[in-house]
Amino acid sequence: MAKTLTKPLSQLSTELDNTRDQISQPPLVTGGKTFGNITEIVARVAEHPSAPKAWYVAFAGAVMLFGLLFAMLAYLISTGVGVWGVNTPVAWGFAIVNFVFWIGIGHAGTLISAILYLFRQKWRTGINRFAEAMTIFAVFAAGIFPLVHVGRVWVVYWIFPIPNQQQLWPQFRSPLLWDVFAITTYLLTSLLFWYMGMVPDLATFRDRAKTKVRKIVYGLFALGWRGSNRQWIHYEKAYLLLAALATPLVLSVHSVVSFDFATSQLPGWHTTIFPPYFVAGAIFGGFAMVVFLAVPARELFGLKNLITLQHFDHMNKIIMATGMIVGYAYAMEFFIAWYGGNPLETFTFENRATGPYAWAYWIMVTCNVFIPQVFWFKKARTNLWVMWIVSVFVNIGMWFERFVIVVSSLSRDFLPSSWDYYTPTWVDLCTLAGSFGLFFFFFLLFCRYMPIVAIAEVKGVLPEAHPGHGAHAAAEAKA
Amino acid sequence: MSQTEAKTMTIEEPTEGRKLLGYLLEFDNVDDLTHGAEKVRDAGYSNWDCHTPFPVHGLDHAMGAKPSHVQWIVLACGFTGLLTGLFIQWWMNAVVHQGNVVTGYQYFISGKPFWSVPANIPVMFELTILFSAFASFFGMLGVNRLPQYNHFTMYSERFGQVTDDKFFISISSEDPKFDVGKTRDMLSGLKGTYLEVLED
Amino acid sequence: MNGKQPLFPKWVDDVTRLIAILFAGGLLYLVTLTLYATSPRNTAVGYMPGQPIPYSHKLHVNELGLDCRYCHTGVETGAKANIPPTQTCMNCHNTIHNQSPKLEPLFESYRTGKAVEWIRVHDLPDFVFFDHSIHVNKGVGCVECHGRVDKMETVYQSQPLNMGWCLECHRNPTPRLRPKDKVTDLRPIEEVLGIKTESGIMDACSELAKEYQVNPKVNCSTCHR
Repeated sequence: MAKTLTKPLSQLSTELDNTRDQISQPPLVTGGKTFGNITEIVARVAEHPSAPKAWYVAFAGAVMLFGLLFAMLAYLISTGVGVWGVNTPVAWGFAIVNFVFWIGIGHAGTLISAILYLFRQKWRTGINRFAEAMTIFAVFAAGIFPLVHVGRVWVVYWIFPIPNQQQLWPQFRSPLLWDVFAITTYLLTSLLFWYMGMVPDLATFRDRAKTKVRKIVYGLFALGWRGSNRQWIHYEKAYLLLAALATPLVLSVHSVVSFDFATSQLPGWHTTIFPPYFVAGAIFGGFAMVVFLAVPARELFGLKNLITLQHFDHMNKIIMATGMIVGYAYAMEFFIAWYGGNPLETFTFENRATGPYAWAYWIMVTCNVFIPQVFWFKKARTNLWVMWIVSVFVNIGMWFERFVIVVSSLSRDFLPSSWDYYTPTWVDLCTLAGSFGLFFFFFLLFCRYMPIVAIAEVKGVLPEAHPGHGAHAAAEAKA
Repeated sequence: MSQTEAKTMTIEEPTEGRKLLGYLLEFDNVDDLTHGAEKVRDAGYSNWDCHTPFPVHGLDHAMGAKPSHVQWIVLACGFTGLLTGLFIQWWMNAVVHQGNVVTGYQYFISGKPFWSVPANIPVMFELTILFSAFASFFGMLGVNRLPQYNHFTMYSERFGQVTDDKFFISISSEDPKFDVGKTRDMLSGLKGTYLEVLED
Repeated sequence: MNGKQPLFPKWVDDVTRLIAILFAGGLLYLVTLTLYATSPRNTAVGYMPGQPIPYSHKLHVNELGLDCRYCHTGVETGAKANIPPTQTCMNCHNTIHNQSPKLEPLFESYRTGKAVEWIRVHDLPDFVFFDHSIHVNKGVGCVECHGRVDKMETVYQSQPLNMGWCLECHRNPTPRLRPKDKVTDLRPIEEVLGIKTESGIMDACSELAKEYQVNPKVNCSTCHR
């Protein structure tokens, strides 16, 4: 099945479809791997003197786009927000669309790490590190937009409550300020969670390092970790607590982002369904991004036995489920617009589906609701090409969802004389492309130099990791 | 498996004139380590530890190690965060303090009250999480006394494999029960594969 | 056994501890720095640029008894207090010290018609709309913002003039008031009123606040329009 994709770097083993024909619990790690094998598979990616060719191609592209982002931001800051397409009545344009899009992408990482951890879903171990890194870089990409859209970037620290000569403070009744706190907390907590999970794996890299520089760099970041059980006790408790803290956090962040819209009085924004709808959409888009990145990464870096088809099967089920929640929200918005009987609300939604932005609306519905329906079929859920293409569509669809929410509502405000059609400028488009550059720049560096799979955690889900397994196996063999 | 196979252990001898830091016994599987840990625990040592590439469940009991109390640090800090969130919003937006360098600023927004707890809940919540998250990470580091870049186990050539697929028991020479001969005899009775003498 | 030394020698741990302490101390230092060291109370107060002519307010106000309004004519009626034109100076200096080399830039200005380039001391940011007339007509004395100009050989900034400082008075204007006819009197309020007790002064000021209907606003658009 996966043979059609590019030839993998790893020649370690062939792929085993562990999603079918199981009598009991399927193995999370395929290919009969030992502890040493797992270390080898993950560490080899970072230790290999050269990366796969595709990595260099992708990295060159990411660097160029990242450079484009810098150029666009420099142009924006030196010239002013007039270089963007925003104007009355669409005063929130691409910046907010991109911000919500990237923050949404950032949700899958913490969801996989924290919520699945609390639910004891052990299959998370293969993909959690990966998804956490994705979260952090997505939040980086998201964070740029609110910073630059304020206009005067150099005084952006005013959004934080810092004692100042003006004796002024931020206004705490504004959801925009809640956003500042939610995003900052989310970024810092995700960073801690990511780094803390990585400490034992960095120690692995330190102990395997051959050059002095690598030894010292990995060694410093490994904090002198020595696998001590007395330390593992505190470590595991702290990790559990972080997971328990990150779970309500991840649900709160996109709820707070949705408050930016929901607490306003604009038809199309002023709805109580927004927080759960945004959270479901964020998980939906985030998981699609994980699949989008994991499919090529496991091929390139030979991680097939750690990120297995079973992982993808699970993730695709989540994508379909959350996609249908999002579809339900779309339908419910229309129902309430009709049932509520508010003419402004009714008009807004009629306009959404049939007005000047109908094309965006139907792209959104097609990509988010119709296309993921292929995941009803197991063949589709375990076919790498199918899931990869669906994940691309879902990402496009989720971007358009934010576009539809922001632009179609604003372009038809209460005063028909000010109605207008919003068109992004080339700066808007290049900034969006550049934000992908930033994301992939960091992500590719991470893939190349960091432990992309949680080595210690994967070892912990192997059957040999539990005391008594030997005796148990021996007894079974006798019987 | 491990129980049935006969193990041979390589045992090193201490060198004359060098400072003895402790012993390090290597195991190649979890079961032998767990049984070994039980023996060391019963022998009454205190300054000793097990080292594993991943957390091994049941080893805490085998070592007689106490459960973690990091959660109290986290709870305290989380509560501090909650109160901080409440207090700063009251201080900054709800009241003005005459004659202070650091005073509040009452914004009059759409006729809303200056002090209204529901509007302050999101920030209180986020600060609770933020403070608790910092507490659990830095609390863990503090309790574990990390970062500690120099430790007597790192004087070993073999110890690097602890982050790969080997398991170790280390006993520090600073342990009150430590005795060059007796400790070595005790360790050589376990199902380890290599007994290393750590010296500076 | 084989004499392997750890990757990091012992001193690394000492350095780590030191860095942790420095970091915590640095945070404290940063807070102190932002709160006190960069406060305009320390950075802006005392600004005393040299002027093209060594004009002494002390001499003209204190010894000769000029009223502020003799030169700063706009203070009661306009936003700006006005820097006097050369002609105002020449009212007297036509005949007094009319040969003084120190006043040469003044005579030069008078001959050529080009203004003397005084250097502004009290300069608010351009986004602040400050109006002198409203303050003066509500009984806020010159001295509240400009200090004892009558004792200054060279004028300097005696107050921080930052927004927080403005707000202090806007929130609690009463103690800064004095009778309208004593606005340009730079002496302390107790000397002006001739009242000794603090409660007596407060009563008098409260009376003035009522009489002048002093009710300053603290919303943004009061000053930022």
